[in-house]
Amino acid sequence: MSVKIPNSIGELPNSEPRFIGTEVERIEDPHLVTGRTEFIDNMVMPGMLHCAILRSPHAHARIVSIDTSAAEALPGVVAVLTRDDVLRWANPMTTIPEGWAGHCLATERVRFVGEPVVAVAAKNRYVAEDALELITVEYETLEANTDARKAADGSAPVLFEEKGTNTIFERVFTWGEVDAAFAAADRVVTESYRWHRLGANPLETFGCISQWDPIENALTCWGSFQSQYHFGLGRAGVLGLPTNKIRIISQPHGGSFGGKGGFRGPDIAALLSRKTGGRPVKWIEDRMEYLAGGAGQAWDRHYDLSLALRGDGTITGLSVKLLDDLGASAEAWGAVSAAKPLAAFTGNYAIPVARYDLTIVATNKLPGSPYRGMGPPPQNWALEQTVDFAARELGMDPAEIRRRNYIPRDAFPYTIASGNEYDSGDYDAALDAVLEMSNYNDLRAEQERARAEGRLVGIGLVNTIEPGVFDWNAYAIVGQPGTGVPEGATIVVDPFGKITCKVGFSLEGQGQYTVAAQLLADWFKVGMEDVRVVALDSVAAPPHFGPGGSRLGVALTGAILGACQILTEKMLKVASGLLQTPLEACEFYDGVFRIKGMPEACVTLADIAGCMFAGSHLLPEDVDPNPEATYVWTAPGRTPADEEGRAKSYLTAANACHLVLVEVDAETGMVEIKGYWIADDCGTRLNPANVEGMTQGGVAQGVGAALLEEYVYDDDGQLLTSTFMDYLLPTIYEVPMTEKRALCTPSPFTPLGAKGAGEGSMHTTPAAVVCAINDAIAHLGVRALEMPAAPRRVWTLLQEAKS
Amino acid sequence: MADLRKIRVTVNGEEHEAEIEPRLTLVDFLRGELGLTGTHVGCEHGVCGACTILWNGRSVRSCIMLAVQADGSELKTIEGVSSDGSLHPIQKAFIEEHGLQCGFCTPGFVMSVSELLEHSPDPSDDEIKDYLGGQICRCTGYQTIFGAVKSAARKVREAGESGAAGEGTD
Repeated sequence: MSVKIPNSIGELPNSEPRFIGTEVERIEDPHLVTGRTEFIDNMVMPGMLHCAILRSPHAHARIVSIDTSAAEALPGVVAVLTRDDVLRWANPMTTIPEGWAGHCLATERVRFVGEPVVAVAAKNRYVAEDALELITVEYETLEANTDARKAADGSAPVLFEEKGTNTIFERVFTWGEVDAAFAAADRVVTESYRWHRLGANPLETFGCISQWDPIENALTCWGSFQSQYHFGLGRAGVLGLPTNKIRIISQPHGGSFGGKGGFRGPDIAALLSRKTGGRPVKWIEDRMEYLAGGAGQAWDRHYDLSLALRGDGTITGLSVKLLDDLGASAEAWGAVSAAKPLAAFTGNYAIPVARYDLTIVATNKLPGSPYRGMGPPPQNWALEQTVDFAARELGMDPAEIRRRNYIPRDAFPYTIASGNEYDSGDYDAALDAVLEMSNYNDLRAEQERARAEGRLVGIGLVNTIEPGVFDWNAYAIVGQPGTGVPEGATIVVDPFGKITCKVGFSLEGQGQYTVAAQLLADWFKVGMEDVRVVALDSVAAPPHFGPGGSRLGVALTGAILGACQILTEKMLKVASGLLQTPLEACEFYDGVFRIKGMPEACVTLADIAGCMFAGSHLLPEDVDPNPEATYVWTAPGRTPADEEGRAKSYLTAANACHLVLVEVDAETGMVEIKGYWIADDCGTRLNPANVEGMTQGGVAQGVGAALLEEYVYDDDGQLLTSTFMDYLLPTIYEVPMTEKRALCTPSPFTPLGAKGAGEGSMHTTPAAVVCAINDAIAHLGVRALEMPAAPRRVWTLLQEAKS
Repeated sequence: MADLRKIRVTVNGEEHEAEIEPRLTLVDFLRGELGLTGTHVGCEHGVCGACTILWNGRSVRSCIMLAVQADGSELKTIEGVSSDGSLHPIQKAFIEEHGLQCGFCTPGFVMSVSELLEHSPDPSDDEIKDYLGGQICRCTGYQTIFGAVKSAARKVREAGESGAAGEGTD
């Protein structure tokens, strides 16, 4: 059966869709606002033990000896897990690129402050932490490697002796005649940038309960797992179990943003459970563990970025050199973040040729993890600053130079130099919208007046692409090849016409259960309250990946609409019999199966599901009594990456234009955001309120990135920002209220024309805020080139300007 | 292990007596001993506000209070805001205004807002910011939360004026 997924809401079998595409209240919310949602730390099991982890105080050291005898003797302690157990029972962690990590507990040496060394399972967390204090670990400290440049040039101590180098990955990708473009350029604009580590920090840290089954040698894990099936495959490899002996059950998450998980905790809990003979072991990461040892650090980057330009501002070439400090291993998927920029390498611009000189190194810091946007946000920041610097050199307005270089609206689908194809867009429309909303010319006049008064007011104008619906091929260059990311849904209709949708992911905050209910309510023309969405575990669910890479809204829509189509076609056969009318004269429309041209001659969903339940004599011979269908969607037309990493990777290219007005305090360097306007185009909006929430939430995290958030390590590799009093998250005082406008160029390739929309502002806001700061201080002859542009950095620049 | 201490607290109108370790935090007592898991733990060092509850009517961080400090006091948690499946106007407003995404921080926000509206039924924008300034939301970017508080204040006032404040608005 060929399944054709509708590309617009108008193609649904419903004359008056009421839900999809409109702002509806989320079905997730009543449980959340009453505190009834079952987050992992709420779960209690009979016989459950609590795990605490002893972590390395050193950035780099050899473990000489470990003495756990006093801890084992403490009443309430049931098991202590050491490197001996881990070497006996576990393999080294899986990594991207392969072969760059040790075990879940350090065995011979520790490589970052916070690395797990010993773990305890005890009757409660208090006793488990008491036990940690009774463990003696003797270390022989080694010189720490905390400077990526030294790691790259070979002058730093090597982390993995068998590798003989700290360079995890090194390659230059050249797309087109880049040297020729730079040689022929009227002007080359080059700048160097430093983006320091920051990270996801969802309000709920990571947590899990692992239970070993010593009879079957099988493992069950409950936890806030983002991609439970893939997580299970990895556990099989690390824990030496057959893949079908692992069952992962994803609980609702208190946020993720890519920064949930890490594999060590669940593996440690699993091995502790094994050591206790199969008691469930709960491990809840505390915030300081998250900050120092969780999945919360990303993007520690040194950029050199050059643009080749003609005198009229046309950009003819882009060269990006990135030195990416991945930290102490490749265990946490952070290297993928250096590959993803290929999906939108040249941003909104029709830059014909580009080069990516990429080096990824290991240092004695926490291994890098994904974070919202997954890599492009720092590159967008560097690119957009450079575009502004070029505009200033050429005497052009930031809007003018951008407009000159946009991919024209009639050029889509458009293949960028790095190989991805953008599906659709109208970048001029987004630019026009923010210029109009913000009264741009008035803002410029206001800026002039302020400057005359000695005040530092600046405007940042930035546009970016949000690649949506990720594909594995985008990450081929760092060793994660593959095409297609299957996402399935199963739709069941019961004999009373009620509908259940089964999926393979849990709540995370984006509202996908609501989208599922909207879709099903409109397909079957029922109320949203007639639809229930349930999560199945990694074994029971149809193939799934879950949220990630701004994909799930689109992928889930494809899966559900595909399943709906299969199910209604099957039911239509039953209807044809009941209506005693040939199949081709019957249709499913407006919630009933009916005779074409005679809408009153119809049977209902319940009628047909009822026949399947208890009326087999009424079923055609070729219809089994199963009122259920599954469809597994994956993005069409994905191509394997070529030797230069080029592929049709992310299916959709949403775009946004942000305009920010800031004032920099000339005395303190403090930046105040005084106005913020957004025009955002992510195709069809399945639930506009969800999209607005994603947009504004991304602004908040982008403001954090631009002004506040930074993991600071000292030269010895000690983390200096180990609490929320040092690692600063934006509050309502820092995050601006924004004025937003929704634009829509539907995707020609996706279910209902929707595009991925979960990360957009994180791509744009950091760049926009810092463009505004640089605009405010440009006349002083200094540039903000380091993130975050915290008061101490801006103040230092202002002092430089004075001297 | 230290000696156990006996405490007596009233939580959401129900009296509890317990023998606990002096080091037990209030949030662990509420979640672990009483099973009131709607109060969430976000940072355990008093910054994020996810664990906010009302202690004798005032908002406190239950992660940096010890349970023994609550001896003899009256506590209110998210479970006391609405217990029978109905929603308090503040909760309704958060849903209608999309003032949450993952919802992990939301119970803390609801408790903080309930304190605000108790003191200031028609809060100014600055007052709202003042009360929300100690609550971190990593998802929403606060704009819709701000809108939810405005809407909640209206709802609570209207309910008060019509004399039908409903369960939990006291």
